[in-house]
Amino acid sequence: MNCQPKDFKSDLKPIWCPGCGDFGVVQAIYRALAAVGRLPHDIAFVSGIGCSSRIPGYTTAYGFNSVHGRALPIAQGLKIANPDLLVLVAGGDGDGFSIGGGHVAHAIRRNIDLTYIVMDNQIYGLTKGQLSPTSKQGLQTVTSSLGSLEQPVNPLLYVLSYGAPFVAQGTPADMAGLAAVIEEAIRFPGFSFVNVQSPCVTFGEDDWQLKQHKAVMKSLQSLGHDPADVIAAMRLAQGYGHELHTGVFYRAPQPPPTYDALVRARQQEQAGKALPRERVLELFAAKKKETAA
Amino acid sequence: MATSLETPKPKARKPKPQLDPDLCKGCLRCIDSCNHHCLVPGHDIDPRTGLIPIELHLEACTACGLCFDACPEPYGLRPERLEEIPTGQPEFERPTDADHLKRPPRPKPVDIPDVLRELPLGATLVLKGNHASAIGALLAGCRHFYGYPITPSTEGAELLAKLLPKLNGIFLQAVSEVATVNLMYGTAGAGLRTMTFTSSPGFSLMLEGVSYMIGAELPAVFVNVMRGGPGLGNIAPEQADIKLACRGLGHGNTHAIVFAPSTPQEMLDLTRQAFELAFQYRNPVVLLADGYLGQMTGRVELPKALVQPGLPKWAVAGDAAHRDNLISSIFLAEADLEAHNRHLDDKYARMAREARAESWQCEDAEVVIVACNTPARMARGAVAELRQRGVKAGLFRPITLWPFPIDALAEALSGASRLVVVEASAGQLEDELRLAASHAGLALPPLAAVRHSGGVLPQQDEIVAGALAALAREVTAPTASKSADPCDCSDPECGCGDEE
Ligand SMILES: Cc1ncc(C[n+]2csc(CCOP(=O)(O)OP(=O)(O)O)c2C)c(N)n1
Ligand code: SF4
Ligand code: SF4
Ligand code: SF4
Ligand SMILES: [Mg+2]
Repeated sequence: MNCQPKDFKSDLKPIWCPGCGDFGVVQAIYRALAAVGRLPHDIAFVSGIGCSSRIPGYTTAYGFNSVHGRALPIAQGLKIANPDLLVLVAGGDGDGFSIGGGHVAHAIRRNIDLTYIVMDNQIYGLTKGQLSPTSKQGLQTVTSSLGSLEQPVNPLLYVLSYGAPFVAQGTPADMAGLAAVIEEAIRFPGFSFVNVQSPCVTFGEDDWQLKQHKAVMKSLQSLGHDPADVIAAMRLAQGYGHELHTGVFYRAPQPPPTYDALVRARQQEQAGKALPRERVLELFAAKKKETAA
Repeated sequence: MATSLETPKPKARKPKPQLDPDLCKGCLRCIDSCNHHCLVPGHDIDPRTGLIPIELHLEACTACGLCFDACPEPYGLRPERLEEIPTGQPEFERPTDADHLKRPPRPKPVDIPDVLRELPLGATLVLKGNHASAIGALLAGCRHFYGYPITPSTEGAELLAKLLPKLNGIFLQAVSEVATVNLMYGTAGAGLRTMTFTSSPGFSLMLEGVSYMIGAELPAVFVNVMRGGPGLGNIAPEQADIKLACRGLGHGNTHAIVFAPSTPQEMLDLTRQAFELAFQYRNPVVLLADGYLGQMTGRVELPKALVQPGLPKWAVAGDAAHRDNLISSIFLAEADLEAHNRHLDDKYARMAREARAESWQCEDAEVVIVACNTPARMARGAVAELRQRGVKAGLFRPITLWPFPIDALAEALSGASRLVVVEASAGQLEDELRLAASHAGLALPPLAAVRHSGGVLPQQDEIVAGALAALAREVTAPTASKSADPCDCSDPECGCGDEE
């Protein structure tokens, strides 16, 4: 069966503010999923908490609107338990790089086959406009009345430096491009990361909305960037915060084996050697003898 | 010229190894260096270090000296001293005795007391509960706020974000509640006043750190503006963290004074007092508000004085006087940890005197309604309505939930034949009440409950109906017995009298 984008649209009406960038992100995800061709019931969509984390509910995939900052470990548990599922993970910049920041590095180095989409609006939307880890220095918000003193996290460099094998960026201002990178990320075997510049119309900066995105965005392809070149990718990723590069920053030319592949290989090694379930106690007895000896 | 040839020196004996067990980290690097198996892994934990030092069996030792090089510890395995040691001198220089570590005698730290500064009497303010609490913290001298945004508590943080930078204070939005509590741990260790605003899911996440702070005896104020749970629940008011605050402050033997304000005025006053008690007992204090109270505006009178904080002598204040202070919750030796727990228990027992409650119209009440936080406001309305209808009703409002004001409750109940517990949780307030009554040996009259959860608050008419139904209900068990609680046990030791 061939799915159309609309087959991934659920009956829930999004309760995002009118004009929120996340509307475009969910549209792009419908398109990407239709292009990938997996059925809704083969897909699990895990999110944390935030405006952006509502997104699984607006799709027909299995949804898991989980705990603030914990989408990645939950998604990893899910994928390990059922490796046949296509697992998407999504959330906000706060969810992913503040409270959940510690999990990102470990998801990357474990290389479980997930696609992590961050809707980066440089603000806390759901809790009404506080500073986010990607807010630019000096930004005045309700929790930084005289302007933030901290440097923003650069999500692109963050994941690149931990060795993420697939790193891309998009904006709903370029819907076709965004759908294409999400599709490519899903198809990539291993951990893939897509940073989406998805403006918050209510609390975000007035001069960083879709209109401005459209005016300044530059596709990496048009710059002649070679996505196999990780050093070039890191150089371009430095532009985060003042330039808007779209497309694939880095795609590992030889994708490293995924966690799942390594587990399967180890299980293969054990094949024939593993005891059947009902003989589990023998294993225990043998271990005891071993330590007694 | 005299030569020494006539008196040949005896062949010098070579030193064998020597070890002070508390300076051995048990790394076992030395074991393989000895060909004569003189060094063997130890079995017993050294209570001074928590490590397992090796044991020496030197019968076969040839004093070859190979083991000295194997030991990486500068004061670990070392050659014994063969020459005579003059009396009064230590056998060897322990690292802690080394001259270069000796310092001139230091001044002893002393408590620098707080100073009360008169507050020019201002007008009565109209404030949101969360804002009132934030102002209470400022008046208590708190200048260090850490927090992570979470509805419905964030207004408190947002007000402090505005005010603290103008007061030379620090407002720092942490990356999570785990970070928040540990930032507080650090600031509290420096002897300064620190606080946070959070709400239920965030409070859950802080509990590990709260346990550490209790163990290390550090003061801090946690304002938990409770919302609907479990899980993400919703952002509407609930009282479902009573259990967490009273019985579940992280792992180990933990307790903290738990306040339950019910007006914006109390949000201010109790936050102020929370700092005082936190420092008095060197223990965190929890303010349990609810989402409704946090958002509700009300008239608030400012106190007559504000606090200019001093510095407690235990602070890690970074000067010579405080050099010996150590903030730690680690007690590796079992006996030490037990002693520490006994010390904490004594402190918890002393906190009993902080129990506070309000009894309203309980003197002649036949039915006493118990409620705290926002539900207490509805309960107050219900009491007034019942009185109008000629029913002798009273309100008992615990202001501390831990310690539970059980003596005050006993007094309020002196003439009552019925008790109605009103709460926005599935019985957590009732559980605290029953537990306190049971510990105090207080027999409770038949108890009825009016409960809601999920953000639905008990309403006045329900409480009135609940009280009337409780009064109308016939009581079969003799109310004068030791326990009026119906008990259908047949245990002769139970004391409920039901087995007769
Ligand atoms: C433990 C915990 N702390 C705080 C919150 C409140 N909270 C919900 S979403 C959020 C941040 C939202 O920002 P972001 O992740 O950037 O998502 P956005 O709403 O901007 O899409 C916070 C602080 C929570 N749900 N759980
Ligand atoms: S608050 Fe911002 S991020 Fe949230 S729905 Fe509205 S526009 Fe989108
Ligand atoms: S001096 Fe030589 S023989 Fe003696 S314990 Fe050390 S290694 Fe063993
Ligand atoms: S090498 Fe030194 S520290 Fe390690 S076990 Fe031996 S004596 Fe102890
Ligand atoms: Mg955001």
